[in-house]
Amino acid sequence: MAIWTLAGKDLRLLLRDTRAAIILLLIPPVFMFVLGLIMGESVVQKPDDRLRVWVVDDDQGPPPPNGPYGNKKWSEVVRDDLANIGGVRVVVIPTREEAERLVKRGKVSAVAIFEPPFSQKVNACSFMEKEFTGGKQGINPFFKDGMDFKALDLDLVEDPKQPTAASIIRQVIQVSLLRVVMSWMIGSAFDKISEPVFIDALADRVVVTPSLRGSPIKQPLKVLTKEQRAEVGNGVQAALLEMFKQYNLRGKSWHALTNSPPPPPAESGSLTTYQGGGGVLNRGALRYQFLVPAATVMFSFFMVLAMGWLFVAERRQGTLIRLRAAPLTRGQILLGKMLPCLAVSLFQGVFLLVAGSLAFGMKWGPQPWLLPLVVAATSFAAVGLAMLVASLARTEFQVAIFGTFLVLILGIAGGCVWPREQMPEQVQAWTQLTPQAWALDAYQELLLSTPNIGSVLTSCGVLAAFGIVFTGLAWLLLKLD
Amino acid sequence: MSQALLEVCDVRKNYGRIEALRGVTFQVEENELFGLLGPNGAGKTTLISILSCLLAPSAGEARLSGQPIRLHDLNSRKQIGVVPQDLAIYGELTARENLAFFGRLYGLQGAELNHRVEAVLETIALADRARDRVNTFSGGMKRRLNLGVSILHRPKLLLLDEPTTGVDPQSRNRIFEEVRRLNREGMTIVYTSHYMEEVQALCSRIGILDGGKLIACDTLPNLLRLLEGRIRVRLPQVPAALRQRIQQLPNVQVAEPQPNVLELSCKEAARAMFALVPLLQEHKLEPLELETQEPNLERVFLHLTGRALRD
Repeated sequence: MAIWTLAGKDLRLLLRDTRAAIILLLIPPVFMFVLGLIMGESVVQKPDDRLRVWVVDDDQGPPPPNGPYGNKKWSEVVRDDLANIGGVRVVVIPTREEAERLVKRGKVSAVAIFEPPFSQKVNACSFMEKEFTGGKQGINPFFKDGMDFKALDLDLVEDPKQPTAASIIRQVIQVSLLRVVMSWMIGSAFDKISEPVFIDALADRVVVTPSLRGSPIKQPLKVLTKEQRAEVGNGVQAALLEMFKQYNLRGKSWHALTNSPPPPPAESGSLTTYQGGGGVLNRGALRYQFLVPAATVMFSFFMVLAMGWLFVAERRQGTLIRLRAAPLTRGQILLGKMLPCLAVSLFQGVFLLVAGSLAFGMKWGPQPWLLPLVVAATSFAAVGLAMLVASLARTEFQVAIFGTFLVLILGIAGGCVWPREQMPEQVQAWTQLTPQAWALDAYQELLLSTPNIGSVLTSCGVLAAFGIVFTGLAWLLLKLD
Repeated sequence: MSQALLEVCDVRKNYGRIEALRGVTFQVEENELFGLLGPNGAGKTTLISILSCLLAPSAGEARLSGQPIRLHDLNSRKQIGVVPQDLAIYGELTARENLAFFGRLYGLQGAELNHRVEAVLETIALADRARDRVNTFSGGMKRRLNLGVSILHRPKLLLLDEPTTGVDPQSRNRIFEEVRRLNREGMTIVYTSHYMEEVQALCSRIGILDGGKLIACDTLPNLLRLLEGRIRVRLPQVPAALRQRIQQLPNVQVAEPQPNVLELSCKEAARAMFALVPLLQEHKLEPLELETQEPNLERVFLHLTGRALRD
């Protein structure tokens, strides 16, 4: 009862200072917005000097028939090939409009747009005439400069102000397309050699001068039976394979054609999706998946200051004497002070996640019901630290010095300002000594598409342990007299 | 015969090498208004802190109703009300909220709490300002509320540590009235002050504390009896016959520190004056200067310590 009385009084005092309450809630979103503006998407990207090839994939398929690529559309095959080029990172922009906006703003030098018929067009590419391709004229995708993008319905939107960068991207795409399409065309053409239609055409075209002694055969292949012609086709194929041993003419992919080992899986992060967000606030931008949890964690630890001040104010206005003279235990006073700060911290955490979602389009991940647990564990650790500071500080000035120093140092070390993944590896290990690092780990895990619940619960457990240790130390060090 | 509610037995308190209290012993009877007088730094607040369960004595013991007062003794705390030297109320809360908050801490609830809050607001004359934040109050109003918070739970023993510091005369009188009323209603009160007039006006028995020691503890008349009254008179001349007649007055001693100046020491200055005036008329002498000094606590303190109370 006494604990609730104490807690209720402090909560009332906190809420009565409406200006402070508003600042407490408004500053974190402002912090997110400003940090988001200053850092841009770099805050969620490792330092990366790879060439970025921007693409929009509107290709509607179908995948190549009998090809080596499974169910992948041709656009996906090209994207994979690009991603496998060393020093290249493929960034997929969701829509043509977004891509055009980025080019217009000069943020991107060129964007390759795979139009809906792209796969159909590649499937129709052929070296052969229509009599060998089922009556349809094959598309010739080559021209003097390499690959003819228009013939394949591949649009390249370029920024005229960045011609050099755009040209480099154009050449990279040219090379990639050449590898993909040409090997496919060679392989497809080679398959035709053993087909009856090809042998029939060959029989019509192969004319031999009759010998003087033997039978006068002008078109020798014509006299062969169907089976014999097939044998000829297979024989010619085998002979060609034998003659061009360094190549696998059946390959249909570049590595198969060139008898090279298959390419290794693309380097991590070499194929990503652009999340730039929209509107004035850049809603949905990827950066807010980091900045919202970071601010939530950072500002929950700012409770350190509020709580320290509550204790100091109690001393300054003499009311601590009354509390000590009242029939209250130390534990009741301690808990009575902790609860309102915990309540404010919990409210602030939930508010920031909701505000982060509404204002910045931050996504809560597939298991949002676990977020309150992380908020609670973080708040408990923060309030424990607040108690510790309150037990050490005697004046407002000491609270400000201890509190700000701890909150900033731990916040920065814990990855609230800059992601820990971008810190040196040895430093990353040390940052695990901060509760902020565990809190951010839990948030980042929850925001993944397939979060590891065990990892989230472990982080929450560690945060609770931090809270218990801090509170225990505060209990030992707190001097109410 | 009334029994001792509070017993202070050889209480000592050291802060490092500093001896704040050096074996203080006294008793306060039930329903007594006991004054603790002493200059700043005498150890009054240290003693009050020990009696309020805020501080543990280095040696000795204080008992309330025969039970030792210990640092973390919640039962003793419930029976004691403390008015600290400095204000101890929340400026951002209203008067009613302050009273209700502290009332709850002492276990008051519901209708009883409401009744006590209203009663105390009436008592300290703040009923009309009950809904106002304390920050808007005058110093005197805050002091009254500071007192009100301490009596809300009807303590057996009320400890007032210099409760009138910085208070205007009107509020001081109101506090005096309230202290007297509480005492009349049966509350035992220990009132500390370095204002001699306050203690003299309020308290039936007084302890004088100096340098951590209780140098005197008695009723006011008994303390005043430690000193004699004085009459100092300057005359145009002092005939020998006059001096002789004055020396014959009962309980009067006479000295002539300066030429034509007589100093009379006596138990009661007023009574000696009645005897002195006819003698002067008889010798046709008119005093050039006349000064009387009755014993008071200030002079008692000077007498006991050799220095003034406010030094």
